[in-house]
Amino acid sequence: MKLKMPFRREKPVYDPGATVYQSPTGQHEEILNMRGIVKEYPMGEEVSVVLKGIDLSVYRGEFLAVLGPSGSGKSTLMNIIGCLDTPTAGEYYLDHQHIAHQDEKTLAHIRSKEVGFIFQSFYLLQRQTARQNVELPLIYAGLPEKERKARSEEMLHMVGLEDKMDYYPNQLSGGQQQRVAIARAISTDPTILLADEPTGALDQKTGAQVMKIFQQLNSQGRTIIMITHDAHIAGYAKRIVRILDGNISEGEVADA
Amino acid sequence: MRRLGMMKQSFRMSVENILGNRMRSFLTMLGIIIGVAAVISLMTIVTGVTDYMMSQFSSMGADSITVSVTGTVVKSGLTENDLADIEALDNVAGTSPSISVTTNVVRNGQVSDEVTVTGKSDMYFIHNDEITYGRGLYSTDMDGSVQVCVIDSACAQTFFLGEDPVGQQIQIGGVQFTVVGLCGADDSLLSSFTGGSGDDGVIYIPYKNALLLNGRNTITSLEVYVADTEQTDALVDELEQLLDNTFNNADNAYSVINMSSLTDMMNTMQTMMTSLLAGIASIALLVGGIGIMNMMLVSVTERTREIGLRKALGAEPSTIQIQFLMESVILSVLGGLIGIAVGELISYAAARMMGLDFALNVSAIALGFGFSLGVGVLFGWAPARNASRLNPIDALRSE
Repeated sequence: MKLKMPFRREKPVYDPGATVYQSPTGQHEEILNMRGIVKEYPMGEEVSVVLKGIDLSVYRGEFLAVLGPSGSGKSTLMNIIGCLDTPTAGEYYLDHQHIAHQDEKTLAHIRSKEVGFIFQSFYLLQRQTARQNVELPLIYAGLPEKERKARSEEMLHMVGLEDKMDYYPNQLSGGQQQRVAIARAISTDPTILLADEPTGALDQKTGAQVMKIFQQLNSQGRTIIMITHDAHIAGYAKRIVRILDGNISEGEVADA
Repeated sequence: MRRLGMMKQSFRMSVENILGNRMRSFLTMLGIIIGVAAVISLMTIVTGVTDYMMSQFSSMGADSITVSVTGTVVKSGLTENDLADIEALDNVAGTSPSISVTTNVVRNGQVSDEVTVTGKSDMYFIHNDEITYGRGLYSTDMDGSVQVCVIDSACAQTFFLGEDPVGQQIQIGGVQFTVVGLCGADDSLLSSFTGGSGDDGVIYIPYKNALLLNGRNTITSLEVYVADTEQTDALVDELEQLLDNTFNNADNAYSVINMSSLTDMMNTMQTMMTSLLAGIASIALLVGGIGIMNMMLVSVTERTREIGLRKALGAEPSTIQIQFLMESVILSVLGGLIGIAVGELISYAAARMMGLDFALNVSAIALGFGFSLGVGVLFGWAPARNASRLNPIDALRSE
């Protein structure tokens, strides 16, 4: 059996203490590049064009919000960014890899290495403890049990849930569950954190707490892409792009 | 390393899911449990019964040929001369007629008509019944002038309770006989097939005395003992030729039953029975397998979102497939193991009830285990494949 490195070596080691991201190739490394992304869905006889040629660049260390109303195509864009779906046309590079119509297995590998997902309704496994939920992507990344344990504990510490590690999701509040989900998303040290309406299921106060965690993670050098319809939430990001009717337009840089 | 970690995780998830749906899992397993228990118990019982019958037949003598005579109008049975002719054949070690006497047995005023009185020759005691006490019938007892008998333990209990029967007198059909020996109770399965002993036991007397008591001179049942069992078939041919001559080639005047041909027949029957039962049991397992498939399909549908999440978190399709396949295999193998335990319990109870020896039937256990494993893989395959092919986007969106 071929042994696979769980994480790429050339990638800079994640250091939670560092506040400024140290890139070996310079400060402005483009880690996401989309050119002319089109996504069409066949709707019976007709073809529905959901994305109409999206151009998007994201640099390492950015905190980007993709703001758009429902039906604007933002979910489809998120699926393509997250390598859950492939575009009908256009070029998409994620961390210098060309993402095209690869088979499911290859896409699964890319997701495992490059993307940390945070969903609106958390999507925690109800029969697993917080710790086990955080370990899940590490299992798929192929980390040995000992390292998984250490890593999941470290991640839960980081989101302030060190005393809730063996709790089941239904014993946790919504905000706590989302923090477990964040710990899960960052556990594999992915290239991008991809959050889909991360505060959609939370009240304003806990939503703000979650956003503070996002900002903290970003200040530690993590690249975050957040999809939302809520302009207030988008305000937590450093940069906002707007998506409307399948087209993207650059918004103003928010005040961080 | 990577695979092992995932296998462990899959195993744990499967067990958790099975335990999380206890009732459903148990009902699903029930099909496999019943199927495997049926395979195990039926196979063990059939094997046990046939083995026992075989051992009975061979204890009766693979070295003996049974001749039954129905006779013709002019000749109703074999005579002393015919007997001498048979004994003159090559490869015949001896013969023993079997002559049933229907009469009363009396001792000290105690009367019984429930005793089976049978005339035998000295050869019978060489080849068959074990004498437990005293002696058997000797060749010197065979000329009809000596009134001696051998009784079995049931008969000894009837007439000589608390006494030493050897040397005592007993009256059979009005004639006094001296008991010379005691033989083991003939409680074999075969004796119940061949009419069975009377309630009050069995008495063996020299066959000539039996003929005298019956007032007839013809022998209708005879055992021929073979010297060299390799030549049994040749002897059967010779015997049939001789008897054809004796009965003038009349149809159905006699039948010759050879023990080895009987055991061959038994073997064929056992094989047929086993395959028949295997067929029935495999139908049960098929039904059980469909039950598992049904549960797995439901489980995949229920957990669509979980599958989508796992895929988003980096699970390959094959990982998902292995996880679900493992669940169905664990379910059916667990059912199989319970089925084996239940089957062995049933076999043990049945063996105790029928008075057979109980032995763990290793091949039946292996078969039951293999079957349940196969069913798990076979019927888990399609649901697991469905799960692995789910589109992560659709799966995550499902509610």
